[in-house]
Amino acid sequence: MFNIISNRDGDNLTIELEGTLDTLTAPDLKTRLTEELPGVKKLVFDMQKLEYISSDGLRTLAYAYKKMSEQGSMVVRNVSEDVMEVFEITNFIEFLTIE
Amino acid sequence: MGKKIKKSIREMSKREKRKNSLNAKVFNAAAVHSIILGFICFLIGLGMYMNASMQDAMKEAYDKAHENLDIVKQEVDPGKFSKRTLEIYKEHRSSKMDDTYYAYFDEINNDKDYQRMIEILCDTRTEDMSDYFLAVADQKNGKLIIVADTDPRPGHLYPVGKQQSVPGWFQKYFFSRGNGSFPRTYYFLFSRGVICVSGAFIEEGNPEAGFVFVVVRATDALDGVGKFILQYVIAILFAIIVMGYIMTKRMNKSLVEPINSIADAAKAYVADKREGKIDVKHFSNLNIRPGDELENLGLIMADMEEDLTLHEENLTRITAEKERIGTELSLASRIQSNMLPGTFPAFPERKDFDIYATMDPAKEVGGDFYDFFLTDEDHLCIVMADVSGKGVPAALFMMASKIIIANNAMAGKSPAQILSDTNKLICSNNRENMFVTVWLGILEISTGKLTVANAGHEFPVFSKGGAGYELCKDKHGLVVGLMDMAQYVEYETIMKPGDKLFLYTDGIPEAKNAEGDMFGLDRLVDSLNKYPDVSAEQTIKNMKLSVDEFVKESEQFDDLTMLCLEYKGRNDM
Repeated sequence: MFNIISNRDGDNLTIELEGTLDTLTAPDLKTRLTEELPGVKKLVFDMQKLEYISSDGLRTLAYAYKKMSEQGSMVVRNVSEDVMEVFEITNFIEFLTIE
Repeated sequence: MGKKIKKSIREMSKREKRKNSLNAKVFNAAAVHSIILGFICFLIGLGMYMNASMQDAMKEAYDKAHENLDIVKQEVDPGKFSKRTLEIYKEHRSSKMDDTYYAYFDEINNDKDYQRMIEILCDTRTEDMSDYFLAVADQKNGKLIIVADTDPRPGHLYPVGKQQSVPGWFQKYFFSRGNGSFPRTYYFLFSRGVICVSGAFIEEGNPEAGFVFVVVRATDALDGVGKFILQYVIAILFAIIVMGYIMTKRMNKSLVEPINSIADAAKAYVADKREGKIDVKHFSNLNIRPGDELENLGLIMADMEEDLTLHEENLTRITAEKERIGTELSLASRIQSNMLPGTFPAFPERKDFDIYATMDPAKEVGGDFYDFFLTDEDHLCIVMADVSGKGVPAALFMMASKIIIANNAMAGKSPAQILSDTNKLICSNNRENMFVTVWLGILEISTGKLTVANAGHEFPVFSKGGAGYELCKDKHGLVVGLMDMAQYVEYETIMKPGDKLFLYTDGIPEAKNAEGDMFGLDRLVDSLNKYPDVSAEQTIKNMKLSVDEFVKESEQFDDLTMLCLEYKGRNDM
């Protein structure tokens, strides 16, 4: 199960992720990002309800990060322990801004 | 096969029977319809026949009454007696109907003309008349008063002046319609059967002058009915047989034959399909033209046949395509596994270390890989890596990564430098954001010094000094391929003779059982410590068994890749 809830407020875009972000669901997120990122200055990922992230999920996050470093900033917040462990092992914490 | 044919022939004969049953149904339907129709016609015909017979009988009664009245009128004036009877009746109608009453009518009884009139009436009476008399109606109380009766049966003769009650519906014939012709009618009375009634007014337009009344038994008229019914039944039976035959023929042509031809086409279609024929045109060749739903059915079946043929062709093409892809994938799978060092023992002439590794992709090709090679006589490079994603895309990326890493390592660079240079090269052309986690170590065989750089890969497990396996939470750099400015740090550790190193990809700790539980790092370390002293090869095989035992029937979801190194040192040389 995977859900994307996005909330646009002017230049700010908040994306809530819910469930499992893996090989099957990452393309959905990629599509949403391609549609919604243009014009966004600040992107916030709320990961409170994200239970699992696979390498394909990480790829999509890296895509978002690269896009946002050209046009603004990106923040990840409410990261669960399991997901944080993945960020640590892959060292995504090195470039992600995690609140 | 023989059995199958036998069975289908048996079914065939059943089907032939079913064909005949449709014929029979059509004939039965035709017959039932003819019988119902025939019965309705019979009732109508019978009614018309009886009505005609009654009309004849009533006309006879009417004509007799008029003819006989004319005969009477030639000799006497019957109106005179009617009027006189009515006068006398009116004077005495309140008195009792006894002999005294009847004596008042003696003057009429004694009249010669009256006696002559009775004679004439009796002479003109015929066999078929059940009542034949002259009477007058009292307009006031609706009673009928007999003037002259002719009943020959003893005791049935009514005397003059006899008052008769008649039902209301009967009265209108005598009172209200005094002028014009006398009505004709027939009745069914339980006591007398069907009777036909008519008569003649003595003076037109003057009901007080009385009338001749004739009642004819209709039994003669009905005698013909039996013969009529017999003739009719024969005619109807003949009509039913002819109609049934014609309708069956017609229905056969317009209904049964088209259905059977569709069934035959379907049978031929099934037979051809069982033999594996491809371009079958049984329904398309059907020629059903009754211009109704059956024609539609035929056309729809033809369309269906065409669609099925098209679908089958597609399916054949898709299957062929799938087979081709499958062949290519299994070839790719072989190429990929050939790329990894797969002959063990890998270095049979070296006694100072032992190494064993396996890769078990979830699909035909995978994104995991291990690698090990000597960069020179004293340095062994060990790589464990995991490409993001699975299948063909991951495999393509894995091949490139493996070659770039190996090239950099063979140039004699340090682990951190190898990863850094590999990262830069991959980042320069990686729009899909593919990445690879890499654990890379270079072992100085003579000293046991192991220099390691970890680019986002799983933690290694070391067994040192015989204290058992332990997870080593080493320093991490960013995964390779995402950010070109990534920096990698390296660390050193000393391997002593007998020390072991176990490397793996996330497929091991993330292997899931049917309940969705993961194998996990704790189980991984525990499993290693069950038999800590076995060879590198046995360690890997034990681990594979542990994982299999844990996941049981669940499908392998991720690639399973492991490597085990045992350092034996110079002493054993």
